[in-house]
Amino acid sequence: MPVPPGRYLRGYTLDPGFSTRLDTMGINEITYQIRWEENLLKGPCGAYFEVIDVDPASNCFYDPVDLNDIEVLATNGLSPSEGNPKFHQQFVYLAAMRTLDHFEKSLGRKIIWSRRKVVKITGPKKRKQVTYHYVDKLRLYPHAFRDANAYYTTDKKAVLFGYFEAAKKVQGSNLPGGVIFSCLSPDIVAHEVTHAILDSIHPRFTENTNPDVAAFHEAFADIVALLQRFTIPSLVESQISATRGNLEEFSFLGELATQFGNALQNSRGALRGAIGKVGPDNIWRKYTPDPQLYQSVFEPHERGAILVATIFDGFLRLYNVQTADLIRIATNGTGVLQPGAIHPDLVHRLAATACDIAERLLHICIRALDYCPPLDINFGDYLRALITADVDVSPKDVNGYRIALIEAFRSWGIFPDRVNTLSIESLCWDKPNQRNPELNANEKKILKYVAQFLKGKVGEILDLSTLEANNREQIYNASQKLQAQLHDLLVSKYRAFFSPEAWSGFLKKIGLTDEVVKFTYNGEKFQSEGPPPIEVYKVRPVYRVSREDILVEQVLITLTQTFSIRGGTLDGAKFRGGSTLILNISKDYDVEYIIYKNILSDHRFKYQMDYQQGVNPAFIALNDSLYEDGSGFGAINFANLHFHSVT
Amino acid sequence: MQIFIFILLLKKSIMPKGLTVTVRMFQVGELGDCFLLHFVNDEQESHVLIDCGSFRNSDSSKKRLEKIVGYIRKELKDKKLDLVVGTHQHNDHLSGFVHCAGLFQGIVDQVWLSWLDDPKDTMAKKISSDQQNLVGLMETLNKKLNSLNLSGAHPAVKDILGFYSIDEDSDVPVIPAKGIANLKTLGANPVVYLSPGQQPTLPGMPPELVKVYVLGPPRNQSMLFDKDPKKTETYDPTLALAGQSAGKLISALDNLDTHSDKREEEQFPFNKIFSKRPSHADKDILKIYNNPLQSWRTIESEWLDQADRLALYLDSFTNNSSLVLAFELVQSGKVLLFAADAQTGNWLSWENIRWEKEKADFKTYNLIENTVLYKVGHHASHNATLPKALEAMQHEELVAMIPVDKKDPNITKKNGWKMPAKNLYKRLKEKTGYRVLRMDDGFADECGLTDKKNTWKKLPFKPIIDKKNLFIEYTVQG
Repeated sequence: MPVPPGRYLRGYTLDPGFSTRLDTMGINEITYQIRWEENLLKGPCGAYFEVIDVDPASNCFYDPVDLNDIEVLATNGLSPSEGNPKFHQQFVYLAAMRTLDHFEKSLGRKIIWSRRKVVKITGPKKRKQVTYHYVDKLRLYPHAFRDANAYYTTDKKAVLFGYFEAAKKVQGSNLPGGVIFSCLSPDIVAHEVTHAILDSIHPRFTENTNPDVAAFHEAFADIVALLQRFTIPSLVESQISATRGNLEEFSFLGELATQFGNALQNSRGALRGAIGKVGPDNIWRKYTPDPQLYQSVFEPHERGAILVATIFDGFLRLYNVQTADLIRIATNGTGVLQPGAIHPDLVHRLAATACDIAERLLHICIRALDYCPPLDINFGDYLRALITADVDVSPKDVNGYRIALIEAFRSWGIFPDRVNTLSIESLCWDKPNQRNPELNANEKKILKYVAQFLKGKVGEILDLSTLEANNREQIYNASQKLQAQLHDLLVSKYRAFFSPEAWSGFLKKIGLTDEVVKFTYNGEKFQSEGPPPIEVYKVRPVYRVSREDILVEQVLITLTQTFSIRGGTLDGAKFRGGSTLILNISKDYDVEYIIYKNILSDHRFKYQMDYQQGVNPAFIALNDSLYEDGSGFGAINFANLHFHSVT
Repeated sequence: MQIFIFILLLKKSIMPKGLTVTVRMFQVGELGDCFLLHFVNDEQESHVLIDCGSFRNSDSSKKRLEKIVGYIRKELKDKKLDLVVGTHQHNDHLSGFVHCAGLFQGIVDQVWLSWLDDPKDTMAKKISSDQQNLVGLMETLNKKLNSLNLSGAHPAVKDILGFYSIDEDSDVPVIPAKGIANLKTLGANPVVYLSPGQQPTLPGMPPELVKVYVLGPPRNQSMLFDKDPKKTETYDPTLALAGQSAGKLISALDNLDTHSDKREEEQFPFNKIFSKRPSHADKDILKIYNNPLQSWRTIESEWLDQADRLALYLDSFTNNSSLVLAFELVQSGKVLLFAADAQTGNWLSWENIRWEKEKADFKTYNLIENTVLYKVGHHASHNATLPKALEAMQHEELVAMIPVDKKDPNITKKNGWKMPAKNLYKRLKEKTGYRVLRMDDGFADECGLTDKKNTWKKLPFKPIIDKKNLFIEYTVQG
């Protein structure tokens, strides 16, 4: 028997509250299609996620759903119901799998959750011993606690969803005093799972080294949640019909987690509006691009909202351009649609365009992650990653996705550092042979040597990656092995082939060093004890198909190096450098990109320390606790980041 | 000739020229605020007391406050306290007005409180009752955590409640409320309740010499636009939600020690028929959840972290309700900033204040830039001084006073409070040119008169430490 092409499960498109309103009930429940997982156990527990429905605050468990029950399969899953915990489990699984699917498709590889770090203090000398472990499944706890919150915790490799009592006052369509479950919001599930996936790709993006880092995590999760909404045709059609094709008007599509937001006793609408918000006079207005905001707004959610608005701006530009011809046809050139409802065929075509753009844009946004530096991300870097990733995979840029993005970033005032124009060529990351200063002949030889070394060893992972079966643990183990070998090469084994000077110069070109690291900060000298340890975080092959039907095969490598500061006024701080290397398999492992952050950069060191010490006025402490020092040295804690101080 | 010049110079250095303000930070022996300001300009003068309290209510705390207030009374002789300010309802700012109520009788002319204490302000009344409600709930929560032996892992609840000094029997924060009640009756004149944007006249000093600006607590403007203010409506949604959350947390705690038969739990979150006690739960799920190799992923206590968050929220809320005053010495433009315990939210609201007596182009940050005396917020915890504002303080005579006592048990205990916060402390020293004064040590480290980096010599007046009468004094030249 062939494996079914998909598993069909019913669920919400927007928050559950919309199911009890006449104008939205028809669009709020649809049948989704996700991949068919073999051996999906009760819970549901699959290969990537395990849903464990324990409710510690109520001191109880809820029985798990078995999605392979014949009655459940026959009706495309359980019927959507806020009062049935089994439906909650089904929905959380479904929404998580949808998000996962988008990522695996865009990234061209299987998602492997970020490793678990275990620190043991052993022996009489109290030495720190660090080990890393593979994590097979992400845990989803649909009813973890009683609060208006949901968060991903990297310590437990789990997403905890809260539930709470709605406001006593009548707000939106909430039952006053009724229960709101964050696990039933497709946006919230998508948002949290995105945090987990982003953490698996770039674990250093939780380090608060500049004002954009925390904002980026939040923004990226919102972008995925928002664009995913636009990939549901029936929903988009209904909204296009309601707004007569003008997406810039208020529509539920532009809000996130409406029911959640309404329930917080705040009649300001959804939790985060991407394209606008309800002002103090209760009138909804679209955000107008304001380049000043990026210079002046630093609170992570607000700053992240700028990035979300920017991407959404790009989306709107593309939509307007690509539907211009349809409008011309429908209006015989006048551009003015007839009053009243627009023709259903037109609605259908407009919606199809919107959905198509959303899906492609979502994939561009996700793919760009592979073209980001491994740490200290900022919005300008992300723009460059977006452009470079897209150029790689769609050289012709049919339909102007790149231009739309550049225009959007420009209008919101986000500009990358050290780029002299906003042209596509300038924005793309430099290829090694375009760099200034160029790699010299020796360095080019070394680069080729490293590439050929990898070519010899990456075969096992390549073979495993092409198999459909669930072999992620094997891929992980093979990668770990290869990472160790590459590490040895970088640190010692090169000596058989190259001189130390040549090697030193080469390392600098990829943002690393084999010398002692020295900085002077405010007149105080800081120095590492020896060359900081190099870490090979990732070696993965990647297969992608572009929107121009080009097959791209690459190997991604992430290298980082850490200078841990001991003593002096900066004791406890960590300064890192490193790079993302992208090798093209079809071009004989040619190193196409070196996207780096230099560990020897004085400028970056000063900026980070100023920021983390609170000297830079942009620094806003991520929590208000009097137990905290207020320094930025700690990692970002998502639970605290999410705790709502909705004002 | 030389003698003449000498006498002239001597006269110049002894006689205060024009307006001066002498600020005395009293050493209350633990965390607490008590500041006496003495404005003098030839014949005119004004005595201002901003807060009087310490963290605890033990006999020794009371005795200490009595000594301090006794000294103030003696120093005044037959003069009055022209102005007494109570900034917000925390024990460490108001306990003196309860324990030394007798000593304050008859010597106070005018009392200023924030609009949140105004009995005629409907918004204020609602907020106040919601806040009291939350404090009461937190106390119940604290008791439950204690009875279940869970408080050890959640110290914030107990710590924060310390600021309210709860009565054992009634669960009501007695001292702070009583302090405000006393303040309302102490003054010879009716109490004035202040809102941001107001510029009240300083009793005893004409506005041509000293101007007072009220910066906080903010009135959340968006709340004023609520569509249909019904009787039951709350004006602060987050506060009300916090109250609800606390309530639900308490009933969750009930679930732990009895199989709750409470009506609230019958349908929350699901109909009771769905709940399966751990002993009756699905075997396969239990196997996964209880697997010892996966024990690092269980979530038995996460839901209780909410208790800490609620406690910190309550603390921030009360701190943000601080009355913040800036005193401007008109001729020189120098500003004394008393920010009580205002936290980030309060500070952020200052930028957009519209001043009742200033032109439209006047910016609050004009005041910040000219600060010469900054009373550091909340004993120099990290979130009570906005970095942007601190960086904006540009005046070359800037001095900071921190009412912190490093021996306070809340600081010295394990995982204690970070006061003064490391980075903030360092930055304060840098911004003031190493002119930082502390309630416990007098001169902060590296800031003494003989220390290398200090710059006290640039200022006309040097700080004075009076160990007998328990204060640290610094005078600002107007």
